Amino acid sequence: MKSEEEIVSSPTILELAQHAVAAAMQAGADFADAYCGAVRHADVAVDNSSVLDCHIVRDYGIGVRAFVKGGMGLCTVQSLEPDEVARCGADAAAMARVAHPDPDFVALPEPSTAPQIDGLFDEQVAGLPAEAVVQWCKEAIAEALEVEPEARISGGAGFSVGEGAIASSTGIALTRPGTNVELSVEAIIQRGDEVGFYFDYDVARRMSEFAPAGVGAKACREALRFLGARPVETKRTSLVLGPLAVAEMLGAVIEAANADHVQRQRSFLMGREGTPIAADCLTVREVPFWPAGIASSSHDAEGVAKQEMLLLDRGVLTSYLHNSYTAHKAGVPNNAHAVRGGYGGSVGIGPSNLQVALGSRPEAELIADLDDGLYINFAGLAPNPASGEVSATVDFGFRIIKGELAYPVKMAMVGSDAFTMLGAIDAVSSDYREEPGTIVPSLRLHDIQVAGAE
Amino acid sequence: MREVIEEALAAARRAGAMFADLRYSEGAGTTVLVQDGRADKIGAGRARGAGVRVLVDGAWGFAPTNNPTRDELQRCAEDAVRMARAAAPAVTDPGMVAEVEPVQARVVGEMATDPRGVPLGERVKRLHALERVAASRDGIVNSVVQYADAVGRSIVANSFGTYLESEGARCQVGVRVTASDGAERQSTGKGRASRGGFELIERLDPEAFAGATADRAVALLSAQQAPAGKFNVIIDPLICGLLVHEAFGHNSEADAVWTGNSILAGKLGQPVAADGVTIVDDPTLPGLNGSFEYDHEGVPARRHVIVDRGVLVGYLHSLETAARMGMEPNGAARAQGHQDVPIVRMSNTAIEPGDCGFDEMLAQVGDGLYLSGGAWGYVYTAAGQFTCNVEQAFRIERGELTTRYRNVCISGMTLETLGNVIAVGRDVKFELGGTCGKEGQAAPVDSGGPHVAIAGVVVGGQGEL
Repeated sequence: MKSEEEIVSSPTILELAQHAVAAAMQAGADFADAYCGAVRHADVAVDNSSVLDCHIVRDYGIGVRAFVKGGMGLCTVQSLEPDEVARCGADAAAMARVAHPDPDFVALPEPSTAPQIDGLFDEQVAGLPAEAVVQWCKEAIAEALEVEPEARISGGAGFSVGEGAIASSTGIALTRPGTNVELSVEAIIQRGDEVGFYFDYDVARRMSEFAPAGVGAKACREALRFLGARPVETKRTSLVLGPLAVAEMLGAVIEAANADHVQRQRSFLMGREGTPIAADCLTVREVPFWPAGIASSSHDAEGVAKQEMLLLDRGVLTSYLHNSYTAHKAGVPNNAHAVRGGYGGSVGIGPSNLQVALGSRPEAELIADLDDGLYINFAGLAPNPASGEVSATVDFGFRIIKGELAYPVKMAMVGSDAFTMLGAIDAVSSDYREEPGTIVPSLRLHDIQVAGAE
Repeated sequence: MREVIEEALAAARRAGAMFADLRYSEGAGTTVLVQDGRADKIGAGRARGAGVRVLVDGAWGFAPTNNPTRDELQRCAEDAVRMARAAAPAVTDPGMVAEVEPVQARVVGEMATDPRGVPLGERVKRLHALERVAASRDGIVNSVVQYADAVGRSIVANSFGTYLESEGARCQVGVRVTASDGAERQSTGKGRASRGGFELIERLDPEAFAGATADRAVALLSAQQAPAGKFNVIIDPLICGLLVHEAFGHNSEADAVWTGNSILAGKLGQPVAADGVTIVDDPTLPGLNGSFEYDHEGVPARRHVIVDRGVLVGYLHSLETAARMGMEPNGAARAQGHQDVPIVRMSNTAIEPGDCGFDEMLAQVGDGLYLSGGAWGYVYTAAGQFTCNVEQAFRIERGELTTRYRNVCISGMTLETLGNVIAVGRDVKFELGGTCGKEGQAAPVDSGGPHVAIAGVVVGGQGEL
C-alpha cells in the first residue's frame, strides 16, 4: 500500500531530485541521494502591541549527497533550474572524490514501505490569505491588553505550505507535502523597576487543531505572575519541572542517544544502551505516525520507513537512534532516525514526536506535597552532551513554600547531572501540555542542588 | 543589474510604497568536516537572490526571490506592497524610516588569499593537519575540525537613491575535542572567524589553536565539580566578550528599546554600570568578524560608544528605530541573506581597557573564582537576566589561583552585575569571532574585553568551596 506521501506526489519536484541523483552517478558517485524542497510561508510580526509587518517568502532549492568510497560530497543550490540541479549533482560527486574514503560507509538504504499518515497537509491552511494571519495577531493583542492594558505585546503568527522530495540511487522516490500554522505571544509588564515577562504559543498542521484564541491572554496572565521576582538561597531542594522545562531536558537526553555521537565517543550515554538511566516512573514513546503530528513522517530523511518505538521504557534506554550510516557501522537494524534541516542542511539524527507516559496525580498535587522547593516553568536544563553535567539558570520559576507557589524567582540556578536528575524523578503528573503528536507532563525531582543569590 | 533593481524599486513606489529597498546577494562557498582522522565530508553551496521591502500606510511588507530576474523582482515589489496593505489595518504604531543621504559606493573587502585560489585538496590537507594536532594528545577520544569559506557580492539599493555594491570573503574554522579517562568525559572547543580569505587558516598556529584546546579538555578530566552559590569572580576576556554581548549588548539594540523589551529603555544619560566600565560596539575595527563599511540599509559604519564611564550614552539603530526614537541612524542594521529583512545587530562589542593588572586584580578579589573560557550565552532582555557558559574555573585563595573546576554556567541581572564591577583590566582581546542569532537570523560578530573583577555572581555548580 502506498503512503500519503507517495500518493500526493508532485512529479516535477521528485523528477528534479532524480535528475540530480542521475547527474551525480554519471559524474562517478558510488551512491547518491537528493532532497528537493519548495516552501511558501507568510509571517506577520507584532511589536509594541501593534502589527508591524507581513512577509511572503517563497524558498526552494536542492541538496545532493554523493559518495565515493564512503567519502561524502554535499552540494546545495537555491535553484530548481534543471541545469543548476544537474550541476549540483555533478559538483557533489566532485567533492566526494576529494573527500577521504570512509570504510564505515556501506550503502544508502533501499526503499521500504510505511503506513499512511493523515493530516500532514491541510488545504485550508494552503488557501489562507495573509489577512487571516494579521487577524489572529490583532485578536491576540486585544485579548492580552484586556488582561493588562499596560502590557507590551510582541510575537507573531504565520503559516507555511511546502513540499519536499527524496530520491536516491538505490531507488527511493518519495514526496512529502506539509502545512504548518503557528502563533506566539510575548507579554512584558513593567511596574516601576519590576518586570513581568512570559510567553505562550500554539502550533498545528491543520486549521481544525489550531487554537489561537487564548494564547495572548494566557501569556499576559502569566507575565503578571512573574512580577516581583526574588533571589533564593543556595541549598539542595525538590524541583517540579513544568512541561516546557521537561521537554527541554528530555529532548536533550534523547538527542544524546544519537548513535553517531555515541560511536564517536562524545555522548554521555555511551555504554548505556539497555541500561536504566532514569527512575522507573519515566517512560518515553516515539510516535512518528501520529495523525497531523508536528514531527510526524512515514519515512526518515533517507527514505527509510519509520517505526513506533519505546525510547525510555520504565527508565531503561532501549536503543540508540540510528541512521543508515550508524546502523551499518554498529551492525544493527536501522531504526530510521535520519533528519535533514531542509534542502540546505546535512543529514543528522533525531527523533520524531515524543510522548511521555502520564502519572496518576495532577501537577497541583505534586506541588502540594512539598514544604519547600522550586517550580520551574522553563530553564535550559539540557545536559552537557559529552559530560552529562547540568548547569542552568531558572529562566522562569517560582519558589514553593508549604505546597504553594509563593513568589517568582530570579538568579536561581540548577547544578547537577543528567543521571542524577533523571534518577531523582519521583512523580510524573497526570495533566500535560499537548502539541499535535507530543505529550509532555510535569515531573517532580527530589534533592537537587540549587544555587541562589540570597 | 542596476537597471533591473531600480525598476523594481520604482514599481514599489508606483504601487504606493513611501519607502522601498532591495538587497541582492550572490555567493558560493565550501565546507570541510574532518573528524577522527578523516576529511570525509566536503560540501559546496551556491545561492543567489534578492528581497524587496516596502513601507506602505505605516506597515512593512517584504517579499524575496531565489531567481532575481526582472519579472521576479517586479513580482516581489508587488507582493511586498500587497503584504504591507494586508497588515496596515491592524497597525496601531505605524512604521517609519529615517531619511538619510543616499550612498553611491563600491566596497571590496580585503583578503590576502582568495580561498577559491587554494585547491580544495590543499585546503583539506591543512585542516586535516589541524585535526591531527588535536587528536595527538593522550586522552582525546574524538576530535572534529569544521571549516567554511564563502565569497560573494551584494547590492543594497533604496528609494532614497542609495546604490551600494560590496564584495568580499569570509572564512571560519572551529575545533571541538572530547577527552575521556574511561570514567569522565569532557569536551571543549575553539573557533576563529574573520572577514577575509584563507589567510585565517594559513596564519593559525596549530599547537596554539588545536593543541591547546585538546590540552584544556584533558585537564578538565581531573577538575573538580564547580561550587554552587554567589561569589566574587574575575572573568577572562572571552567571558567578558560573552557578558558584554549577551547580557548587555542585546539590550542596547534599539528595536528592543522602543518595544519596551530592554532594561535600557528610558535610561539614556543615567548610570547603568560601575564608573570604570566603558562599552563600545565598533564595526570599523580592521579584520574582525563583525567589521563592515556599510550596514545592510546602506548607512556608513561607525564606532558606537554605548556606555561611557558607567553612563548610558547611546543605542544601536536601524533606519526605523532611529526614526521612532528621533535619533540619528548609526549603521547597525544587518540581514542574514536575501530572504531576511535588516534588524539591529551588534558588530564587534567590548568593554574598553581599564588600568588594573591581573595580579593586582587577584589580590583585590582575595577569595573567589577565576572564570575562563566559554562558548555561549543568552539573555532575556526584558527581564535583564543573563546566562553565560564557563569552560573552566579556578579557585582564588588569598590572591592565588588554586583548585581547577570544570564546565559550569553563571547567571545574573545585567545592570546589577555591571554595577558590581570592582576592577577592569588592561588586556583587551577579541576571541569570540562567530555568529550571533537573533529572530532566526545569524550575523557575523566578535566581542571581547579585558579581565574584569565582579562581586556577587551566581555560579550554578553542584559542589562546595
